[in-house]
Amino acid sequence: MRTCFAEVLARESASLAEVTDGVMLANWRRRVVKELMTPRSPYALALRQSGDVPERADLLDRWRELIAETLERLLKSGATGNALCSSAQTPRADIDAQKAAVLILAALHGGSTLSQIARDPWPLNAALDFALAPFAATEDDGPTRTRNE
Amino acid sequence: MYVQGVGDTTLDDVLAASGVSKSQLYHHFDGKDALVRAVIDHVGERVIERERDALGHVSTIAGLRRWRDSLVQNNALRHGAYGCALGSLASEVTDHDTLARQALSNLFTEWQGLLAGVLRRLQDSGVLAPEASVDQLATGLMAALQGGYMLAQTARDVTPMATSVDMALAHIESLSAG
Repeated sequence: MRTCFAEVLARESASLAEVTDGVMLANWRRRVVKELMTPRSPYALALRQSGDVPERADLLDRWRELIAETLERLLKSGATGNALCSSAQTPRADIDAQKAAVLILAALHGGSTLSQIARDPWPLNAALDFALAPFAATEDDGPTRTRNE
Repeated sequence: MYVQGVGDTTLDDVLAASGVSKSQLYHHFDGKDALVRAVIDHVGERVIERERDALGHVSTIAGLRRWRDSLVQNNALRHGAYGCALGSLASEVTDHDTLARQALSNLFTEWQGLLAGVLRRLQDSGVLAPEASVDQLATGLMAALQGGYMLAQTARDVTPMATSVDMALAHIESLSAG
């Protein structure tokens, strides 16, 4: 258990640090979905509601911080998808990155549970489209050229 | 069982908690999987009944917020420790137990249908934009709720659940037609 928490944290800290625009955020999200839908991946194991609670609490806290830092960076640089073309309609400044990060983490957690019992990635993807909507990182947003993982 | 979690519950725990003998238990339930299914049916029925009462006639954002308030208040009483009975079962049911998984999946579909009903009424009254995808929003809201319960349970603090559902409702409100 302990090792899967450490591995998720190490990988998330590396991959979220690279995210500087909406397209990269969409790439991050695709990678996480893939991990969570793989039954024995460290991601899927780490989010199961069993095992060491303080360890998981620590992982979730730090993961949320990493997501919040990433969102702050995106908001500051104005690099979130539609902010470039529709700033009049959607003032990005009103988004609270800390709270948005809680929703994104909840969407990962709750969405993957719904997807696991349904044996279908759709609920997880729908949950993330919902949570990431203000940051324009929806599934069909990323141009195909970025799919080089 | 849903306090302790399915994986950590043994038949002996059930015997100790219920005061029945092993032979009586096996007489009623064909091993642990059957017992887990009986718990799912029982918990599921209660949750769906509660949610039908709470959501069946909601047709405003304010009504959705009252639904949220009651769930958050209930969960706050125990510092979020118990989480959602149905969500806890869903995150723990083993991969090999297809029937249990299917039963949970049906229950969540039913619950989400109640949320979709509210969103459809919001759409009918012109509050929610007609192009909004009701199924996607209902799924997003359910995941925010369930994920929020799980974060609260792990943190032993109801705050992340409240934040997650608030953010979800704020997003739905931001899609309003007006």
